[in-house]
Amino acid sequence: MTDANLPSPKTGTTPGMAAGRALPHWVDRFLGGWRVYRKNTIGRIGMALLVLFALMATTSFIPQWVDPMYHPMTGVDPQISYSTGPSLRHWLGTDFIGRDIFSQLLAGARIAFMVGISSALISILFGTTIGMVAGYAGKHTDLILMRLADMIMVMPTLLVVLLLSALFGQLNIWIIVLMIALFRWPGVARVIRSQTLSLRHRPFIEAARVAGASHLRIIFRHILPNVMPLALLYMTFRVTSAIIIEAALAFLGFGDPGTVSWGMMLQWVWKTGHMFQAPYWMLPPGICISLITMAFYMTGRAMDDVLDPRLREEETTP
Amino acid sequence: MDGRNCWRRGVLLLLTAVMLTACHEKNTHHVLNIGLAEEPRTLNVWLASDANSRKVLSLIYQPLYVYDPDTLDLVPWLAESMPVYDAQTLSYSVTLREARWSDDTPFTSRDVAFTGSLIQSFKVPRYASDWDFIKRIETPDSRTVRFYLKQPMAAFLTGTLSTPIVQEKEWADFAEKAQTTEKPLTALVNHRMQHPVGTGPFTLEQWRRGAFLHLKRNPHFFGIGKTIGGRTLGPFVDDLVYTVFGTSDVAILALIKGDIDMLWWPIQPGYMADLSRRKEIRLFTNEKSALYFMGFNLRRPPFNDMALRRAVAYMIDKKFIVSRILQGQGTKMFSVVPEENRFWCCTDLPRYGDGMSRENRLKAAYQVLVDAGYSWAVPPVDAAGNLQAAREIRLPGGQPMKRFTILTPPADYDPHRATSGLMIQEWLRELGMPAYARPMAFSSMLEQIKGHHDFDAFILGYGHLGLDPDYVRNLFHSANDKSRGWNMSGYRNSAFDEMADRSISEMDPVKRQALVMEMQKLIARDLPYIPLYKPSVVEAVRRDRFEGWVEMLEGIGNIWSMCQVKPVSSDGA
Amino acid sequence: MGLKRFVLRRLVEIAVIFFVIMTVLFVLFRLAPGDPVSRMVDPSMTPEDARLLMESMGLDQPLWTQYLYYLKNVATGNMGVSFHYGEPVIDILMNRLPNTVLLFTTSILLSALLGVFLGKIAAWKRGQRTDTLLTIGALFCHTLFLPWLALIMIWFFAYRVGWFPITGMVSPDVWIDPGAGWLAKALDVLHHMALPLMTLILIHFGSYLLVMRSSMLDTLKDDYIITARAKGLEEKTIRDHHAAPNAALPVVTSVGLSLAFSINGGALTETVFTWPGIGRELVFSVSHSDYPLAQAAFLIIAIVVLVANLVVDVLYAYLDPRIRY
Repeated sequence: MTDANLPSPKTGTTPGMAAGRALPHWVDRFLGGWRVYRKNTIGRIGMALLVLFALMATTSFIPQWVDPMYHPMTGVDPQISYSTGPSLRHWLGTDFIGRDIFSQLLAGARIAFMVGISSALISILFGTTIGMVAGYAGKHTDLILMRLADMIMVMPTLLVVLLLSALFGQLNIWIIVLMIALFRWPGVARVIRSQTLSLRHRPFIEAARVAGASHLRIIFRHILPNVMPLALLYMTFRVTSAIIIEAALAFLGFGDPGTVSWGMMLQWVWKTGHMFQAPYWMLPPGICISLITMAFYMTGRAMDDVLDPRLREEETTP
Repeated sequence: MDGRNCWRRGVLLLLTAVMLTACHEKNTHHVLNIGLAEEPRTLNVWLASDANSRKVLSLIYQPLYVYDPDTLDLVPWLAESMPVYDAQTLSYSVTLREARWSDDTPFTSRDVAFTGSLIQSFKVPRYASDWDFIKRIETPDSRTVRFYLKQPMAAFLTGTLSTPIVQEKEWADFAEKAQTTEKPLTALVNHRMQHPVGTGPFTLEQWRRGAFLHLKRNPHFFGIGKTIGGRTLGPFVDDLVYTVFGTSDVAILALIKGDIDMLWWPIQPGYMADLSRRKEIRLFTNEKSALYFMGFNLRRPPFNDMALRRAVAYMIDKKFIVSRILQGQGTKMFSVVPEENRFWCCTDLPRYGDGMSRENRLKAAYQVLVDAGYSWAVPPVDAAGNLQAAREIRLPGGQPMKRFTILTPPADYDPHRATSGLMIQEWLRELGMPAYARPMAFSSMLEQIKGHHDFDAFILGYGHLGLDPDYVRNLFHSANDKSRGWNMSGYRNSAFDEMADRSISEMDPVKRQALVMEMQKLIARDLPYIPLYKPSVVEAVRRDRFEGWVEMLEGIGNIWSMCQVKPVSSDGA
Repeated sequence: MGLKRFVLRRLVEIAVIFFVIMTVLFVLFRLAPGDPVSRMVDPSMTPEDARLLMESMGLDQPLWTQYLYYLKNVATGNMGVSFHYGEPVIDILMNRLPNTVLLFTTSILLSALLGVFLGKIAAWKRGQRTDTLLTIGALFCHTLFLPWLALIMIWFFAYRVGWFPITGMVSPDVWIDPGAGWLAKALDVLHHMALPLMTLILIHFGSYLLVMRSSMLDTLKDDYIITARAKGLEEKTIRDHHAAPNAALPVVTSVGLSLAFSINGGALTETVFTWPGIGRELVFSVSHSDYPLAQAAFLIIAIVVLVANLVVDVLYAYLDPRIRY
């Protein structure tokens, strides 16, 4: 996985390469990857699930637009003041004060994507930058950065965020996102670093250096495009862990009380005593959390196969 | 390296475990299994301010008088008869019952005097205020105690006399040692009690931290076979075992499964429908002497304005809170004194917004605000009298209202208050007010409200209000408007203060009643607190194991129940 | 010997990391909004007592003196008195530590064993239905939401079927019975442990399975396996005695990498199953704002993770003959 086996890094040797010429290459590479990806059963399942969840997230605005009583947080059914099972009016039933569970579930998908993707993006940003800098600079910078990464890596993120919420009071959803991101970069940084290390002495980097390119330019112009696919791959895994941590936090009662996330829904079921009484309320959020993490995970694994041709041969030969 | 063999062995071991524990013989004597929500905090009676420790310690340490479950009158407990008042010397004499401590030493008047002096000298937090008006305690003989008061004090009967009494022998040495340390109170409350000696129906057998706590019947309990307050006392069970369950869900499962016989904590309304269908489960619903309220900071804008507070009162839909958030398991409150406290509660009070539709309450609140000089960028009610989405309310001075927060306990601590806060936020926004509900960890919330007075509004509750209305004075007297004082709102009204001061030394109940009613009227007019609701206590027990539970204010978990429950006769085997 | 030096070096590193964590914790507790004293002093205390306590903890001293006090206190195991229990936090946590370690190590060991075992099979049958089923099953189990799964497990196995106790670590009726011997008690604990253990294994074995599978696939292409095949050894012998031991090495590393993840899961599991461990105590202390307890629980969890990491590293070094320290 750390092996640099990207099709042709040599195209990057000419420093003055026009962007227009690079684009078709990227598209080509992407299409090639997609062709491999499509053959992968796991990847197909993952992608299908993701599309489903994305659909849920985008339609989450519709119910409250139809009728304010379908607002996931503040809308209550005027006729129902307790938890009821599925009906035509409420497809998945209502929660303990008469809010619609289905629209909460849709809103939850939106929050899950928001939390997952934004926190993964931030951690990838950190991880990639730090990994590239460490790998490129080497020596003391490398040592210090990697020790730091080691240290953060052994910290159980959930418990750290818990401790922080004890100290700073109820945390806002964006603070939670940021916290998760800040504790999840080391894994990425490590992989990107070793990738960078292997790239560092490639002829095209050497050539760029001889041509007088600055360090920054080399890092962002020449190394970044080559580690990008790997970073993207890791992003899918980070999305998974971010969603799980947010859900667990909310489940324990330390989430942002102003958001309707799936973890929050489970916390409501749990704390109001409907856990074993209302399967229509308790099962959907749990299934959604499990499935969305699985979907990202599967997509990630399939992408991993695409990026690692050695395994690809493995899969295609027999 | 062979994993399969290893696994086989593991599975085999587990199966044996299952079988052996399943075959384990049950004890022949009667064990009452009680489920608790949380680990008791401590066995040190002076630290035990939490409900769970009290559930254990109230069966060990006994007071001189307890409340009758039906009439809520005082019943002599460790005392033999009602106290005798001598107006001349301002003293009460109490004659004690013949009783023994669980270590078989006699219980004497010296123990009572010692308990009082310990509370006074250490200023033990929860009890000190009930004892600081006592000038001295005399013990003419081993069965008589005489309390001399500094001034007439209504709280003597309800507070002082229901303090749990501790044994002098057990505490004297330690108290003396603690006095010599630099922080006597800390040393006292952090003293680790291993085996508390009490006079109650049960004694501690063992406490496995994080797992269970085992009490045994106390053979030296003074009440065995006696009839007190018209009730014949046992206890009729040999052991009490408290098991800690982290969440009510699993505790309810354990109850249904029969692992426990009683859940000693109120269950959530969500369970009621299912449980009431099961014939082996019995539910008890009882009232609670409680006050859940929204409080304001009267020391700073915007809530230093009475009109605004009144508008808020109009907007709060108490019926919604009770019927939806509490699922009907509670009652609306309009006075700071709960209605069950019939003698002291004033019913002749304004009931802001009660029974009004959403539109009417919005209009009423709007009218109050308009009259007080408030204005809007877009008012909630337009010229034609139709409702519209309000925007940007402005104070009478013309400046826009700054955003304010409503602090509530977090949802995992109390989902009802947290959800109420969110709903009130939404209602106030209909008036264009920039309201933000903010759940906050309980102790930091208290710190911010009580310690620093840095807040706008909050929702809190007193779960166990005493029956004596003395708290009405405590909560709103201007002398208590200080850091960590009782008066969290900073309400200052000299007329109220004067009435409150008269009420505590008024020994004539009828005159005192009139004063307390007047005080409640002032509060309902000025609204430093808006009383919201009072939850009911719903408790569940198994029908097929024990019977004879005694219902009382606060539910069946009380000393009377524990002294009276009997095994169901068919369960003899 | 090399191994000794390696362990020594890791020990020094762990000490440094722990020191940094301690320092960060110290800074965090003083950075947080509000009064640091209120975080150290029980709010129900009288002002005089609070002042005395402050002085004894050095809270009236300049920051760096406070820091030294703090280091000294942690080093001597004096981490303050819990607000909630009114007892030294170290006593409370030392009481809970064995429970956590018991559940934690057993679950990691068993899930790694199961993962290796199934991963071996999946790799051996690569491309066949067994492989696909195992891989997808592993992925599915691995991504189940833990507390939710735990509650379903309780509902099904403890309530519906009734095979296991609902929660907790011991049954009082066994432990209050004076006639019960140590064996009955040990079995009782095992009986209680079964369900949380099953939940944890279900969540964790998947990742080990996947690692084992891909590492086994790599190994199968190595020369010595081809040689073994050429020698005509039985397939099962090759799989179990030649390929698997070497392929299992990356699993050890992945155990190390997923330790933090397991501790997270441990805290959730302990909370849902009312297992009296440190993770549950941490969650509890956080929701009760018991700062001394939260701080100490976190430090102890950090130590557990660091030590577990060390054990994994040493194990790896010991197992892999290719490693020169």
